[in-house]
Amino acid sequence: MGAEIAALMGLFGLGSAFALVGLVLGAWMAWRIVEKAGLPGWTGLVAILLTVTGIGSIVPLILLWVFAFMRWPRDDQASATASGAASPASGGPAPSSPPRALAPPPMKLADRRGWQLAGGAVSLTFDGSLPAYLLTGAPAAQAGDLSVPDPSVGQPHARLLIAGSRLGLEDLGSPGGTFIDGARLLPEHGPRDISAARAIRVGSVELALSRA
Amino acid sequence: MENLLAWIIGLGTLFVLLSLIIYMLLALVLIVPTWRICARAGFSGALSLFLLVPLIGPFIVMAVLAFSTWPAGEAPSGRR
Repeated sequence: MGAEIAALMGLFGLGSAFALVGLVLGAWMAWRIVEKAGLPGWTGLVAILLTVTGIGSIVPLILLWVFAFMRWPRDDQASATASGAASPASGGPAPSSPPRALAPPPMKLADRRGWQLAGGAVSLTFDGSLPAYLLTGAPAAQAGDLSVPDPSVGQPHARLLIAGSRLGLEDLGSPGGTFIDGARLLPEHGPRDISAARAIRVGSVELALSRA
Repeated sequence: MENLLAWIIGLGTLFVLLSLIIYMLLALVLIVPTWRICARAGFSGALSLFLLVPLIGPFIVMAVLAFSTWPAGEAPSGRR
């Protein structure tokens, strides 16, 4: 009988040793897991150690569910990084250094697209083959004439100047007036860069400017 | 006698089946949150099915989560 009791005690001791090793191992791994999620490591340790208290295993189970569905600080850091700049590809820890802007391209390609002025029944397309074009209310007589058949448009009305990828506009003193995005352009203003303008008005004709 | 044996086998089978169902339900309670944790870490959620392995299953899942680099990214070590 004594031998059986000794064997049982030995088995119990072995089981306790395994349980202790499992507990320490579990606590260590839980520490590391919650740390990776951005939480303090001791929270994982406490969650595992709660299993040996009188509370039982229901509290660690609840904590497991809370941990699974709560917002992790790691996600906040990742979204903050993504809002600052393009986030790195998935994989690897988040960078600790601040994001840097990409270097500019080594050489800018020339924009060789043409221009288009369109509005109502008028649609004028021109490119950089000529250095200047004339906006006129008369029918086009020369290669550089762009006809806007309207009584409010002068003959000629304004001059379009092309230099590389830039487009300029010069009013020639027509009574109908020339407007760039609603602002009046006077002859004394000289040529104005309208590359970034969106709407041109010559006389009473509203023309939308775009790249062809 | 045969009738008694049939009863014993039947009850035993029922007991095993019930135990299996209860075990599966308990495992599900663990698998569902673990599946989500694995997915948020960037691993396949199916990794949590290791919990079905008695005794060492939870340790396998925890070891993978604790000692490998999370594909979905980890909190920077400076903030830990």
